[in-house]
Amino acid sequence: MPSRYEFEEKFREQILRCSRCGFCQAVCPVFGATLRPALNARGKMLLLKEVMDGRIELNDELIESLFQCTTCANCYKNCPSGVNVPEIIRLARKDMVKGGSCHPAFKGMNEVLDKSPNIYAEDDPEDFDREKNQQAENVYFVGCVGLYREDEATSATLDLLDRLKVDYTLIDEVCCSGVLEDVGFSMKDHLVLKNIEGILATGARRVITGCPYCSRTFNKQPQYAALKDKGIEVVHIAQFLQGFDFGVTTDKRVTYHDPCDLGRHCGIYEEPRITIRKIAPDFVEMADNRENALCCGAGGGVRGAYAKNSIAMARRRLEQAEAIGADIILTECNSCVHNLTNAKLRKQKFKIYNTTQFINELMEKAESA
Amino acid sequence: MEMHGYNMPEDLHYEENHFWVKEEGDLLVMGMDDFAQTMAGEIVYVQLPEDGKEIKKGKKFAKIESGKWLGKVFAPVNGKIASVNEELETNPGLINDDCYGKGWMYKIQPDDKSEMGTLIHGKEAIEKWLVADIEKYAEG
Amino acid sequence: MDEKLKQDLIGIVGDANVTDSLIDMVSLSYDASEHRGRPEAGVSVESAEQVSKIMHLANARKISVIPRGAGTGLSGMAIPVKGGIVLDLARMNRILNISIEDRLAVVEPGVVYRDLEKALLPHGFFFPPDPASGKVSTLGGNVATNAGGLKGAKYGTTRDYVLGLQVVLPDGRMMRTGSKAMKSVSGYDLTRLFVGSEGTLGVVTEITLKINPKPTATSTALATFDDLVDAGNAINQTMYSGIIPSALEILGRETLAAINQNTELNLPEVDAMILVETDGYTREETDYQLQKVMDVFQRNHAREVRQAETEKDVEELWKARKSAYAVLARIEPNFVLEDVTVPMSQIASLLKGVQAISLRHGLRIATFGHAGDGNLHPQILYNGYDPDQVRRMEAASADLFKLAIELGGTLTGEHGIGLSKAPYMTLEHDPVAMDVMRSLKKMFDPNNILNPGKMGLEI
Repeated sequence: MPSRYEFEEKFREQILRCSRCGFCQAVCPVFGATLRPALNARGKMLLLKEVMDGRIELNDELIESLFQCTTCANCYKNCPSGVNVPEIIRLARKDMVKGGSCHPAFKGMNEVLDKSPNIYAEDDPEDFDREKNQQAENVYFVGCVGLYREDEATSATLDLLDRLKVDYTLIDEVCCSGVLEDVGFSMKDHLVLKNIEGILATGARRVITGCPYCSRTFNKQPQYAALKDKGIEVVHIAQFLQGFDFGVTTDKRVTYHDPCDLGRHCGIYEEPRITIRKIAPDFVEMADNRENALCCGAGGGVRGAYAKNSIAMARRRLEQAEAIGADIILTECNSCVHNLTNAKLRKQKFKIYNTTQFINELMEKAESA
Repeated sequence: MEMHGYNMPEDLHYEENHFWVKEEGDLLVMGMDDFAQTMAGEIVYVQLPEDGKEIKKGKKFAKIESGKWLGKVFAPVNGKIASVNEELETNPGLINDDCYGKGWMYKIQPDDKSEMGTLIHGKEAIEKWLVADIEKYAEG
Repeated sequence: MDEKLKQDLIGIVGDANVTDSLIDMVSLSYDASEHRGRPEAGVSVESAEQVSKIMHLANARKISVIPRGAGTGLSGMAIPVKGGIVLDLARMNRILNISIEDRLAVVEPGVVYRDLEKALLPHGFFFPPDPASGKVSTLGGNVATNAGGLKGAKYGTTRDYVLGLQVVLPDGRMMRTGSKAMKSVSGYDLTRLFVGSEGTLGVVTEITLKINPKPTATSTALATFDDLVDAGNAINQTMYSGIIPSALEILGRETLAAINQNTELNLPEVDAMILVETDGYTREETDYQLQKVMDVFQRNHAREVRQAETEKDVEELWKARKSAYAVLARIEPNFVLEDVTVPMSQIASLLKGVQAISLRHGLRIATFGHAGDGNLHPQILYNGYDPDQVRRMEAASADLFKLAIELGGTLTGEHGIGLSKAPYMTLEHDPVAMDVMRSLKKMFDPNNILNPGKMGLEI
């Protein structure tokens, strides 16, 4: 029987399969930081079940729960009943938006991306002192967070690519707009087109992204199929780097935080570690790593919509780094770097970097020595 | 000291990016003013540099973020960070709740206290500057 | 919610810890059982003093209070049946003390079992009653249901490890029970009264637990049987081997099929599989023990008896066992998970009886459970949207309980009565016992505000 809701059409059976065991409470970062049953996967499935049973409406009252999910997929990974919570939430959000209920931050983001090339509505991107839109083998696609929030990290990555003599160019990039699909809206065709055109114009065979969410979007969203059709490979910098040697090492104790978008969502766990092991003999894993990695709390738009909880989640992840005595926390995602850095307490002396930034710093030090 | 809907105490000095400064013994205390705090919305993160960090007049030395905005904190004078308000680490919202009191941000050891003279001070000057900025931001 | 009441609650715990918003009311209406009931409010507490003030207030206003830990109970004991306030204890989650010399740990009720396990590990200790939900369930909840776990046959249940409690009574008065000494028989054993009382006699706000040194070696084996009766016999014959395994679990055919559908384990689909673990301090010792048990299985016509070789295999087997009930939940939209327990000598009869009930009512009933202490978990799978199936499920449940009682067993080994088994209390308890239970409840809670409507005590 057709439903007025997309989420019910596609996932009714799965939602009913949720046996309310509550095992998701063990891994949900939002629940871990807030201890509030309404915010964890089980709570969300219960809400949708009551909507399907006609007991409650899919309206504004549900925003605080259904729009507060980092889409880290740890619940799905651990659900004994195999309920695909992130997908269900994605569709439920679309249904909510259709019905006029949405978190103002995401509504705002959707409106911003109609007029602005990035999610922050800022119009002054760094050019990192480099020419854009050149002919090159590779396009380096930075992503919004790298351009407007973590420009130091991006600058270091580009310096590293130069040191490694990689043939790349920047382009006049705009937001990949993939995030809109996760928060109840749809990707913006005009932005997609601009990116595709920008990439094609360079003649590049490969796009390297600094942001795992962008590479996920380019690889998985049908709107970007033109790239694949033209035989253009899209990889994240972690995948690109694994073949290189750097000739530097550190004696600091280093750990690695798996970004959800690179790890659980794309299955890329070993490539970053291969690179890190080359430069850090004292490499240790945090308690929850690889497919069990604890989400930093930034994803799914939560950093924009529920910043306090987002930072609280990052704090929990940092406790795991502290517990193993890490001096350096490396990761491969600017959103993770941003959130973890914000959450770091003054008394915590470890430093947080993207791997590329850290390697570049080591190489810089080696050169000036 | 209510001016056009914002609380802007007349006895304070103001850096043009909306940070207030006042003397406290040998040190200067600085924070965000009511206009800026209102525009920014709920502050979620304030960067708190190490004690002893050098700051240069007119240059950014820290970041501050609300849900929708990333801002820069500019040094009103040349000097060093003497101490920071550590409460802001776990409760950055103090800046919104009490920007002139519990929400103070940094204490500075100035190289030359007389540099304060270059900051905006006095009822007329403050009002003129505030009105201009209200207009500027209204245009968005 | 009454505005004055809301303000009074805020006065005790602060604005951020009182909620009546829809999303919270919905999630607090459920636990891991099939039941639901809407509360009027949720209150998060962080101290025993706060609990005391809330109970005092609720008792004066005659408003029901339902204590809640992780909400993973399987019989509905955390479900509000008369509206009221859900008392969320999750924030009372500090481990207050670990004393190896005194062999105890003191915890707040919201401490998650897994976090206690993590804290004890560096000391080489563990807390033996390990419910399958231990990653999320809280110790307060474990005390409320006298939680068992996979190690029950050798190590007992939660009540064997509670040395003492701090409890807030329904009228708000606070008291302590038990002693930090390893044994005590001073006054009535109030500790034992509260353990397993399902949050109906008092709210536990602090727990002193006995802890054990953790054996460092284990050996694990599995055995398959073509006939349930052979499996049953193998289980109670294990007693004669002189060995008490640290875990002895059974998995029935339906369960094995469901596990195979959802993992790469490829377990043999036979009438019954037994998983057994022995523990100790050297592999020689644990292998010796295991061999004795494996001999018993061979003598009882096991099709295959095999020791698990690698650590990974062992981990996978136990992970599969622990997720059995939720994996079975994938088959039909609804299920009811029972935990009838019988004397060891009756296990084979129980297993056969469950098969017969399944046939009689035309419903799939998967079985797995703690064979080592006679505690089976028959899981009745059905479609709750089909009234006929609901009827048949209820009839099958009733038959199951009657069977367990006839075999000299009990309605529940570890999940508690809650709402699910309340209608069957009189099957197991004689009228005098029921009367005494009601009198006790009335004595503790004359206004019947603390977790009312549970355990079949209300006529």
